[in-house]
Amino acid sequence: MKKPMIFSGFFKNNGAVMGGILMFLVAFWIIVLILLPQLSMLDFSFRYNLPPADVGGPKDVYTLRNYKFLIFGPEGATGNYNTVDLMVFVRTILAAMAVTVMNLILCYPLAYYLGQSKGTGFIRLLVVMLVVPYWINEILRAFALRIIFGDIGVINGLMMQIGLIDQPYDFINADIALYAGLGYAYILLMLFPMYNVIESLDRNQIEAARDMGASWVRIHRRVVIPHAKPGIASGMTMVFMLSAGALAAPQVLGGTSSLWFTQLVYQWFNDTLNWQQGAAYAIVLLVASIAIVLTFMKIFKVNMGDIGK
Amino acid sequence: MRSNILFGRIALAVYLVIFFGYLLGPLVVMGITAFNSASFPSVTPWQCFTYEWFGALFQDERILNGIRNSFIVGIGTVILSVSIGLAASLVLTQIWPRFRGTYYTIIIAPILIPGVVLGISTLVFWRRVSDMFGDSANFLNNGIFLTILGQSTFIASYCMLVFVARLQRFDPGLTEAALDLGATHTQAFRKILLPFMRPAIASAAVLAFLASFENYNTTTFTFGSYPTLTIELSQMVRYGINPSISALAVIIVAITVFVALAVEVYRRRSKVKAGEIKPRKGLPAWLFGNVATILLVLLSFVVIAMIYTAQSYSPQQCKFDYREARQIEIQNKIDALRAERAAQQGAVVESTPQEPAAQGAGAGAFGNVFAPNNLEDAAGQGSEAPAAPASPFGNVFAPSNLEDAAGTGTEEAPAAPASPFGNVFAPTNLEGASGTDGN
Repeated sequence: MKKPMIFSGFFKNNGAVMGGILMFLVAFWIIVLILLPQLSMLDFSFRYNLPPADVGGPKDVYTLRNYKFLIFGPEGATGNYNTVDLMVFVRTILAAMAVTVMNLILCYPLAYYLGQSKGTGFIRLLVVMLVVPYWINEILRAFALRIIFGDIGVINGLMMQIGLIDQPYDFINADIALYAGLGYAYILLMLFPMYNVIESLDRNQIEAARDMGASWVRIHRRVVIPHAKPGIASGMTMVFMLSAGALAAPQVLGGTSSLWFTQLVYQWFNDTLNWQQGAAYAIVLLVASIAIVLTFMKIFKVNMGDIGK
Repeated sequence: MRSNILFGRIALAVYLVIFFGYLLGPLVVMGITAFNSASFPSVTPWQCFTYEWFGALFQDERILNGIRNSFIVGIGTVILSVSIGLAASLVLTQIWPRFRGTYYTIIIAPILIPGVVLGISTLVFWRRVSDMFGDSANFLNNGIFLTILGQSTFIASYCMLVFVARLQRFDPGLTEAALDLGATHTQAFRKILLPFMRPAIASAAVLAFLASFENYNTTTFTFGSYPTLTIELSQMVRYGINPSISALAVIIVAITVFVALAVEVYRRRSKVKAGEIKPRKGLPAWLFGNVATILLVLLSFVVIAMIYTAQSYSPQQCKFDYREARQIEIQNKIDALRAERAAQQGAVVESTPQEPAAQGAGAGAFGNVFAPNNLEDAAGQGSEAPAAPASPFGNVFAPSNLEDAAGTGTEEAPAAPASPFGNVFAPTNLEGASGTDGN
């Protein structure tokens, strides 16, 4: 089926009815669900927040105001830059990267262990245990961590019982709960791509390397990791994008003083009702995170086609 | 060498325990809170074992409504995204190789786009479309319609990945043979490809439903006036909460484990039937050395036992005792405090006639604290404050807080600054105090 083919060939291959249905569904998805909404949001982000009566009128012109707001703050403000929002942005990106690396370190050994063990009952039990938390709502998972890290949470309760501390430690405002929650929310998206790739690695290669006298570290560096690179890249991409775009965990676990960038977007939409400003912020988030992912893919020489396998 | 292996095993065991502790620990803790009668979900001030939160869950109209909406959205999303995903994967296997890379990038992109962005773009786009059509296209702004579209945008990508994996093992020769034998393309699709894809369709549908059911980021922008379960939960978490959502988590976990174990048992059985594993003699075949079966039976027993005991068990006595103990504790603290204050006032205030009145004021101010429903009120407020769900009781019990309460009683009388306890003599005030005492 892999011969060169253009539209006429496609319909010849599938028949007019089936070919038509397939084309319609795919076109609907790509154009109506993916491309047009994104373009519409992009267009929206360059407009003023006008009352409904003025929409489409002479005042409805393009502007860079919404983007300027993110960088310089409201017009006529005293400071040079909108430091509050920019700090939130930088913090979101850096923290998402940190969460990604933390997940990688935590998952790699397990992915290796699961991937290289034969499918015994124990291994399958482990896999089942891995999947169970993923079926729980994201909100509930974040909330479970809140029960653990809260002021009267399990950890504070235990530590006070032992006498380690006499005042509850504020895990929430220290953002420890948030990072734990973000790592927790997306840990399986790191694990399973790596597991799938490592499973396909021939055990004999590792045996051979070991017989040749390679050290444990060297085996991983020269044999396992190069083979697992697509899986690692795929997992890291997904975890980074999802943590940077996370909303549930920051809302439930975030401290009172520190916000996540998506929370700003949410506020523009739902509290301030300035959709244009929110769209601009969303575009910035989208472009920045895609740029970061592409840069890292370039550095580590990974193809887009490896993602999702 | 041997010690090395032993060390490796211990390290592995420790690592596995840490990893699964991180993964499952929070769920276990949340599960425990579902059975604690404390009105804020917590473990450490353990009050009484109770089932009341399960009852509360099924009486919560908003939760039930949310579940209903989630099901409607979930079914719509499954239909839309499974068919889109299947079509997209079929096109991927046939597309002109030069376009393949671009095409794959486009259809994989929705997985990587933040859910927030998907939600916003769906909302903005369809709002525009409906503006274009005017009032006749009101359904375009409907929350369920928008949510299904927004979620399908990225869930279709997940489905597509599932189908691509299955299609790699499909022999296109089968379809060609069917066509040669005179089948139409539609027949070939229905009779050859669809049956081959059935397992993949089933798993894609399950995946799509789950992804839809638990989606928050996209839905939070598109739900309109049809909040799904996740939206309701997020609002409960932010604006006041009781352990009934822990009860919901317990139910979901139980169902999940049940289904997972059942699938495992089923797989095992079909393997035994196929002769890949030989059953041991002396045991019924279904119970043959199978961890999954044993766990499944145990789980069923636990659930049945819980439902049975829930009919007769009542934590009223325990709750009463707990409250009693709490009150005695508070009483002791207050007595100590009062003694301290009396000592201080004895030093400062010379005139004796005011002394009993001051005591009376103290009792009046503290009277609120004694009233049981008052405690509940305080707890309710504590848990409703989203930023500070600290200890709902902590505020009440903290000695400094009590001092504050007493303090405000005195400071609230700007008209009579002469005596700090002057307002106590006002008859209405006394009535109010005795009124609350009566509770």
